[in-house]
Amino acid sequence: MTQFRVLFQKEWRENVRNYKILWIPLVFILFAILEPVTQYFLPQLLDSLGNLPDGAVIEFPEPSPGEILANIIGQYQFIGLLVLILAYMGAVAGERRSGTATLLYVRPLSYGAYYMSKWVAANLIAVGSVLFGLLAGYYYTALFFGQVEIGSFLQFAGTYCLWIILVVTVILTASAWMPNGGLAAAVSFVLLLFMQLVDGLLGAYWTVSPFKVPSYAAQWLWAGPETGAYWWSVAITVFLIVAIAAFGIWMSKKNAAKVKV
Amino acid sequence: MNVLEAKGLTKQFGAEVAVEDVSFRLEENTATALIGPNGAGKTTILSMLTGLLKQSEGTINQSGQGGIGFLPQYPQFFPWLTALEFVEMAAKISGVEAANVRQQSVRTLEFVGLGPAMKKKCGTFSGGMKQRLGLAQAIVHQPKLLLLDEPVSALDPTGRREILNLLKSLQQDTTILYSTHILNDAEEMTDQLLFLQQGKLVEQGSLKEVRDRYSEPRIQIRFETSQEALRFSALNAWQGTVDRTEVILPVTTQGPTMQMVLERLAAEGLAVSGVERKSATLEEIFLKVAGKE
Repeated sequence: MTQFRVLFQKEWRENVRNYKILWIPLVFILFAILEPVTQYFLPQLLDSLGNLPDGAVIEFPEPSPGEILANIIGQYQFIGLLVLILAYMGAVAGERRSGTATLLYVRPLSYGAYYMSKWVAANLIAVGSVLFGLLAGYYYTALFFGQVEIGSFLQFAGTYCLWIILVVTVILTASAWMPNGGLAAAVSFVLLLFMQLVDGLLGAYWTVSPFKVPSYAAQWLWAGPETGAYWWSVAITVFLIVAIAAFGIWMSKKNAAKVKV
Repeated sequence: MNVLEAKGLTKQFGAEVAVEDVSFRLEENTATALIGPNGAGKTTILSMLTGLLKQSEGTINQSGQGGIGFLPQYPQFFPWLTALEFVEMAAKISGVEAANVRQQSVRTLEFVGLGPAMKKKCGTFSGGMKQRLGLAQAIVHQPKLLLLDEPVSALDPTGRREILNLLKSLQQDTTILYSTHILNDAEEMTDQLLFLQQGKLVEQGSLKEVRDRYSEPRIQIRFETSQEALRFSALNAWQGTVDRTEVILPVTTQGPTMQMVLERLAAEGLAVSGVERKSATLEEIFLKVAGKE
């Protein structure tokens, strides 16, 4: 536990001093605010852009507050994930490659504490950023389009945060596994974005999948997801988080010999 | 008492053998120099001793408590941490008691001369300061065994002198194994020499033992003129070599001794500017050992 505390303190200092604690939440908040604001001012925006014939009227059906919030995680599913990949792809691989990890690895280091300190710090930033973003989005959505019931919003945000924890776990494990940050980013990209695409295209044939967790999260904004499939997907996601993290710890230890001396 | 004993250490990377059947012992509070050209396997041996690399064959037995301190050739630090934060982290991970961490870290930083800079971020440090910080993190937990990979080769002469002096002061209660290809440094702080060549240990022993085996003592006589040097060479049967105004006489069990040389010079009435008994430098010995393989 002492080692975890020491290493977590180091991770936290890193996130604070290289401003990840600031810019990652800002990106998530910005994209969350953009969605309701853009939707609300869309008619005025189109009008100001001009080129419409005189008397032309485009009528947009007003989106429901639930749709606006669901669109926010639509943005997060690509740009948000890319931000997290870029921020944490070098968490382990970068330290190994630069040699900064050498002075840790030559000590009686617990690789469990080493990996988990990064995992907790990265998840605090990522989940915190998503929650702040969704709260900002919730505020502007309520301001312009009406309020989503708070209970539904919490279920929506909570379920989506579980997906974000899986995302962070995949990125950190890829970083522990791959020799450099670039390859870790490529592996994370394939596992998270490409597999989401595959699940989106072929996923009509199954209802239980970790890649369906974001869409199940969005369904809380309406009637709520089908309970059985939802809970099975959540359970599999939790299992995957634990299994991938365990693999990450093992890879951190196995690849320690590749550190630059 | 042995602090560490390595037996038959071998490391292979695929088909390539980086270190082959290397055995040695490190006795308590001694300094051992691991000497060899670049690529001889010095860093690989140190990496195996730190546990970073697993040996393909052989055993490493470390006795006693206190752990290992390690300084890589180019130590890298987290640039956003201050020197004090880094050394404290190193101390805590190495198991220093929480109550002693701050005091021990500050004392160590002051010892290596980084007292005034302890609150500065590592990213702002010069090469010499990084080396001092590297030494501080290696000794903060007061290890019994200190492993140093080329500790001074990247430093300017002043920095080198300062780090060597620090290491000498540590030698009293720490066992030190350091790699180097700067033989002057090895000559200055060594109880035992380990010569590595292409991954193999080609010679080992104390500085005196190695010197006795390879030193080939000689007497060097410097004359005023080259004619006198040639004349002296022709007058005796000692098979010396003449190099302009110098004559170098190899010393064997049959002689000549210094006294014999001085008597001959006095008898011939030759003017000399100097007579000196010399033995091979470590660099000459190293070249000889390297040539043996």
